[in-house]
Amino acid sequence: MIKIVGITFQGVLRDKVFHGILLVAGLFLFIPSASAFSMRQVPQLAITLSLSLTSFLLLLLAVFLGGTSLWKDVERRYTHSVLGGTPISRASYVLGKYSGVSLFVMATAFLLGVLSLAAIWFAAMAYPPDRPLLWLNILIAVFFDALKYVLLVAVAFLLSTVSTSFFLPIFGTIATFLAGSATQNVYDYLQTPQGEQLSAGVKAAALFFYYMLPNFSAFDLKANAIYSLPLDPGGLLLTFAYAAVYIAILLSSASLLFTRRELQ
Amino acid sequence: MDAIELVDLTKIFPGKKGARVKALDHLDLRVPQGEVFGFLGPNGAGKSTTIKILMGLIRPTQGQARLLGTPATLPQARLTTGYLPENPAFYDYLNASEYLTFIGQSFKLDTTTIAARSETILHRLSLWEARKRPIRSYSKGMVQRLGIAQVLVHQPEIYILDEPMSGLDPIGRALVKEIILELKAAGKCVFFSTHITSDVEAVCDRVGVILKGKLQTVQEVGTLMEKGITGYHIRHRMPGQEIFKESTIRPEELQVFMTNIFQSGEEVILLEPLRKNLEAFFLSIVSQGSSNDQ
Repeated sequence: MIKIVGITFQGVLRDKVFHGILLVAGLFLFIPSASAFSMRQVPQLAITLSLSLTSFLLLLLAVFLGGTSLWKDVERRYTHSVLGGTPISRASYVLGKYSGVSLFVMATAFLLGVLSLAAIWFAAMAYPPDRPLLWLNILIAVFFDALKYVLLVAVAFLLSTVSTSFFLPIFGTIATFLAGSATQNVYDYLQTPQGEQLSAGVKAAALFFYYMLPNFSAFDLKANAIYSLPLDPGGLLLTFAYAAVYIAILLSSASLLFTRRELQ
Repeated sequence: MDAIELVDLTKIFPGKKGARVKALDHLDLRVPQGEVFGFLGPNGAGKSTTIKILMGLIRPTQGQARLLGTPATLPQARLTTGYLPENPAFYDYLNASEYLTFIGQSFKLDTTTIAARSETILHRLSLWEARKRPIRSYSKGMVQRLGIAQVLVHQPEIYILDEPMSGLDPIGRALVKEIILELKAAGKCVFFSTHITSDVEAVCDRVGVILKGKLQTVQEVGTLMEKGITGYHIRHRMPGQEIFKESTIRPEELQVFMTNIFQSGEEVILLEPLRKNLEAFFLSIVSQGSSNDQ
């Protein structure tokens, strides 16, 4: 499996998608000057822009690398040479590919996190903030954002194991991301007086999706980073455990489905 | 224990509108260690389906496939097997050296062994100069040769090659035949599919003909070639004369004809057997199979 992780990591590094995303990362250079346009709360805006840009780049990586990595191997018949020509099992292959892509997402998150810290530091030096910046909060926010995308990559892999076209892995992953980011808001709405007036069917459907889809809003720690709000260690641990269990379920299902798939 | 064992192998693919396509029909075949077996059949006969089942890429609807006694569905069955897929494709962002290292590591070979074997194989397959170039820049023939390199690097006991000569130039084809004969001499089992009969004639011990998913026949290539002799072409002349005579005789006339030649003091310049080649045999099987269907 380690060999597959290495090969996948190498492949992503040489992938044009990654090179394009690197170019977009050049936008970090403009964050300090763009933040200055706000005229007030410049460091806060710098944090917002940095975290949003990091999140956007990680989303692109998760969707395009997660959605195409396994699918491309099957489509281009690389799997025939590797799975037919070596003793690597299908489950190891899926887990290795997933680990390679996830490792890459985490490494990119680390790199973008460092760039974010640099951009925020420049902004804070030019316009000292009213409240002290909590650098650890910013780093933790980046880590949990990356964890969210590692979970999204697992969704993309699950969809790739059953799909013969890239539509399902790509658009299915985007749809899951959008729905998973909204389910908490929908759930909160159901608890309001207006929400309670909805039909039982609509409520049941909303609850079904709330429990079935990954809840991405749990990973959003931007407010804590921007406004230097204290983090709840128990909540963080719970979110981490939630991601670990969810990823384990998705990857077990993906391995099972891929093992049964016919590679014609 | 046989190297390759196919027992009652049947594969049915779902077709359009609920139809079922029988790609393999109760196929039974055993190939012992040390044999070169040619799997001959027209396009769509079921050759690749059989091989994909052997390599665990697809599952049989019925029956079993085993490699050295291990069910082909298990990854460990591939520990002793090298596989060249039809029209192979490899991670195109890697180069040949990186790819062979990856394959060697998958078989838990140490770095020194991988490096030594890779160098020998890449030289042999004329890929040494291109070893640092990304595979995406390779020609079809080069990719095919890299596929052969992948098969050789871990020195397995069984070699399963799906159309190994495809995309190769005459030099490459001759090289692959030479490699197959060397593997045979080393006591390895080579099972390869093809629809080119001359390849089978050149290297195989036995040939199996598959048609519409059914194994039609399995024959010794040597016996087949002997059985196929339809006569002899003989060129002979009197000693000292420049003009020679040519005769064509039936197989049963050979003994008497040669006795007469020697008694008359003539010398034989050329004795050439005339025979139906494997292609004629193959075509007769195919036409027989087609007429049975009608």
